[in-house]
Amino acid sequence: MTFLRKLLWLLRRRQKDAELQEELRFHLDEDAADRVADGLPPDEAQHAARRALGSLTLVQEDTRAAWGWTLVEQLAQDVRYGVRMLGANKTFSALAILSLALGIGANTAIFSFMDALLLRSLPVPDPQSLVTLAWHTKKPEMHGSNRHEDSYDDPDGGFVGGIFAYPAFELLQRDASVFTSVFGYQGAGDLHFAVNGRAEITSGEYVSGNYFTGLGVSPAAGRLFTPDDDRAGAPAVAVIGYALGQARFGSAANAAGKSILLDNIPFTVVGVTPPEFFGADPNALPNVYVPMHASLLLQAGDRYGRAAARYADPNFDWIVPMARLRPGVTAAQAQAALAPVFAAWKAATDTKRPKADLPTLVVRGSAGGLDGLRRTYEKPLYLLLGLVGLILAIACANIANLLLARASGRTREMAVRLSIGAGRLRLIRQLLTESLLLAGIGGALGVAFAVWGIRVLTLLLLDGRGDVPFAPEIGVNWRVLAGVGVLSLLTGAAFGLVPALHSTRVDLTPALRGVDRRQSTRARGVNTSRALVVSEVALTLLILVAAGLFLRTLSNLESIELGFNRKVLTFELNARQAGQRDPGILAFYDRVLVELAAIPGVEGATLSDSPLLGAGWSATTVAASPGPSKGSHVLTVGPRFFETMQIPLLRGRAIEARDRAGAPYAAVVNDAFARTFFGSADPVGRHVRLPRPCPTCDIEIVGVAANTRYGRLREAPPPTIFLSYAQAIWGPVGEVTYAIRTAGGPLETERAVRDIVERADPTVPIARMKTQQALIDGMINQQVTFARLCSAFALLALAIACVGLYGTVSYGVARRTAEIGIRMALGARRAAVVWMVQREVLMLAAIGVAISVPAAQAASKIVESFLFGTQRNDPSTVATAALTLAAAAVAAGYLPARHASRIDPMAALRHD
Amino acid sequence: MSRGRPSRVELLHGTLDLLILRTLRPGPRHGHDIGKHIRRTSEDLLQVETGSLYPALHRLEAQGWISAEWALSEKGKRARYYRLTAAGRRQLESEQSRWRAFARAIALILSPAE
Repeated sequence: MTFLRKLLWLLRRRQKDAELQEELRFHLDEDAADRVADGLPPDEAQHAARRALGSLTLVQEDTRAAWGWTLVEQLAQDVRYGVRMLGANKTFSALAILSLALGIGANTAIFSFMDALLLRSLPVPDPQSLVTLAWHTKKPEMHGSNRHEDSYDDPDGGFVGGIFAYPAFELLQRDASVFTSVFGYQGAGDLHFAVNGRAEITSGEYVSGNYFTGLGVSPAAGRLFTPDDDRAGAPAVAVIGYALGQARFGSAANAAGKSILLDNIPFTVVGVTPPEFFGADPNALPNVYVPMHASLLLQAGDRYGRAAARYADPNFDWIVPMARLRPGVTAAQAQAALAPVFAAWKAATDTKRPKADLPTLVVRGSAGGLDGLRRTYEKPLYLLLGLVGLILAIACANIANLLLARASGRTREMAVRLSIGAGRLRLIRQLLTESLLLAGIGGALGVAFAVWGIRVLTLLLLDGRGDVPFAPEIGVNWRVLAGVGVLSLLTGAAFGLVPALHSTRVDLTPALRGVDRRQSTRARGVNTSRALVVSEVALTLLILVAAGLFLRTLSNLESIELGFNRKVLTFELNARQAGQRDPGILAFYDRVLVELAAIPGVEGATLSDSPLLGAGWSATTVAASPGPSKGSHVLTVGPRFFETMQIPLLRGRAIEARDRAGAPYAAVVNDAFARTFFGSADPVGRHVRLPRPCPTCDIEIVGVAANTRYGRLREAPPPTIFLSYAQAIWGPVGEVTYAIRTAGGPLETERAVRDIVERADPTVPIARMKTQQALIDGMINQQVTFARLCSAFALLALAIACVGLYGTVSYGVARRTAEIGIRMALGARRAAVVWMVQREVLMLAAIGVAISVPAAQAASKIVESFLFGTQRNDPSTVATAALTLAAAAVAAGYLPARHASRIDPMAALRHD
Repeated sequence: MSRGRPSRVELLHGTLDLLILRTLRPGPRHGHDIGKHIRRTSEDLLQVETGSLYPALHRLEAQGWISAEWALSEKGKRARYYRLTAAGRRQLESEQSRWRAFARAIALILSPAE
């Protein structure tokens, strides 16, 4: 009741004030009138009335106090005073606010990012009822066909497979007791997409007929697939993504019903997906969807001719299934219901594994199926989160320290205020208001920093793969922000309260005389401050070590010996998808190659079936005769490949133009191959066979090349055999990668390259034109980001810790001014005084380092998987970090030390 | 702020509220009138300081024992009139009986029946 009334009064405060004035004026008038009636002259009566009232302001003050909003008024007063105090000590305030803002901002940014990326669900109705189906084996699986983005090694040494054979997919669809639908997809890779003679390469996806109905997606135009579309022999239909529809047909509505060519096969666009839909797999982001059975058309020319056979093969896994649970059924119940069915089927059909190692079915609530995305970003984001958490801890310790030091500096002020009658509670409240104000401003700046930080993070983390569909949508997460805001206020309150209690409990007389600073009773405050600084140093060292490890990893990655020239420009062409067939296709590729070599400034041009780094990753068994059968990577290359890539030939000759179809099969092997297969014997002249693509082809090794990295940057050069692409041992020629080495900048040749390809065949689009260096940059993007972010974090932490050291030491020097004065009066030299101060600094830093080194050893386990070419407890990194810290500490101690050495003994002794 | 009356009695702490409430029992009055009434009724023995009267009035209002509204005084000027609320009436009853008990106890001690 009264509270409500007070609140109302609060709102009408101005009016209340006016009313009070009027009331008092009325009182004065009445009083004067009474006195006139008593016989006084009017103006004397007025004066008498004023005298009787006393101080009008005081009456008003007292009356206002009765309204019961003194608390609020005092708060306003405290805030005003607090703002003045912050302004009076600008350096202190700026440091405290900045460190807190950076801590809060970095935490909010990373949290928001994690929330958006890791906890996001697919933009479909009721994503909670979607589950992913997978299988699990207790033993690791190395089988090539199971290596898929949805498959990964289990932490317990097992293997989780995300792809199923078509018969298994049908089996899972048959049981309708737990799922309303089971649907599936499989990436179709690059598709050649042509409309009205204009072609481009775009990513495609095979989806089951019930894929869109299962996900609950409605078309933006036309219709989506039905099970009838997904049958062998059904009309060739496609659904395209919204963006592609707009780009190629002007609008989604325009696209429906249009004819297109996919890999030169006519398809009809039946519908367009809505703009927010990006497919069930965030790693794929297809633009074109075709029914599963369209693979019979699109893969008719498949290397192994497996397109039709794979629908019947129970041992060939290729479909990624998803399912929607019936209402009320949980993922665990679904798994319990279907696991026995799957196990029985596996027992009957699996020919690859021993009976004891058969896979078991796993049904997982996917909360929308962004599992792959989660796996990609979870670990890096948690790591970053840990780092910014450390920063926040350092910032908090620093603020506590600064507040403590400042409170000690204000002992005298507090004593004065207490002695003239200020209540202790009132003073504590005021000090608390000041620290909360500090925290509040820090928090507000933190928001601004978070907004900016999210933008930077988006750029840094997702730049290497600008294909994450919802990156621009990541905004500040207000829930996270509220949490961090509360945290910052708590920090302010907790770290403000201790010094507030401390500095208001003073013995007035000595404090007023100013002698308190010399008394040992203050040692407790000093010790707290030292403990805080030591913890700041310890935490900073952790971040410094992490930064050192990441920088070392980055420099190791950047200086990796590739074994070939990283400045070559590569791009991909696929004339087969555009409709060209043998033997014209080889002539076409050769013609382009000749023209490329003729571009002015080009020093060499060649081609291969894939680039050395990047897409290429094909392993097969090679049988040497005589000799062993072992695994090797295979790359088919054109003439002048080794010369253009600047890969040294160790023996024999390279693949040349004479190794054409009809000529004896020739191969070059790398050094690793030679050693693996033949030891120290000379491989030139030996013969090998490739049992899988061509068991009868007798291939002669004509040369040995130096080792190069292949496929993956971080892996040691594997055994590799180079075949002549023109001899087509490795199946019919499809896609090729051209490589061009130029005298000038490789990108200057780009225009000329585009012209040549355009003239040769306008329906063959260029894909992925970039230098090998750019490719490598993309591959190590995460390490670059980590090294950059971590270095920034380390600098930040170092700066905050130095501020803490500086504050603590200056406070110590001020406290010991008289002592230092006496020492100097007794003949201590300046250098000795400087050393005395710096010794304390180094001591604090040393204790911090001593605590932190074992902690860093333990914590570095977390970052181990992000490192390359360095040990997680690399001693030189730890030593560098410790030395950096020591140097920074000495720098932080320099000013107070110099100040101490310039103390005038006479002034110091008269100081108090 | 003495007006030079020698026989003035200091107001006992805590009694002002009671006096105000009692003064308002017959009907609404404005602040000046309340002060005057207390002085007159006490035969000029009790002098309410303006500096205490208005804070007290506003405090009683905040407690909900009296309410205030603007009305025209008999001389036709706007004045703030205070009125006893139901809660104030109850408060007056209890304060009055407490005060009577207190006064009786003091009287018993000062002039014991012989």
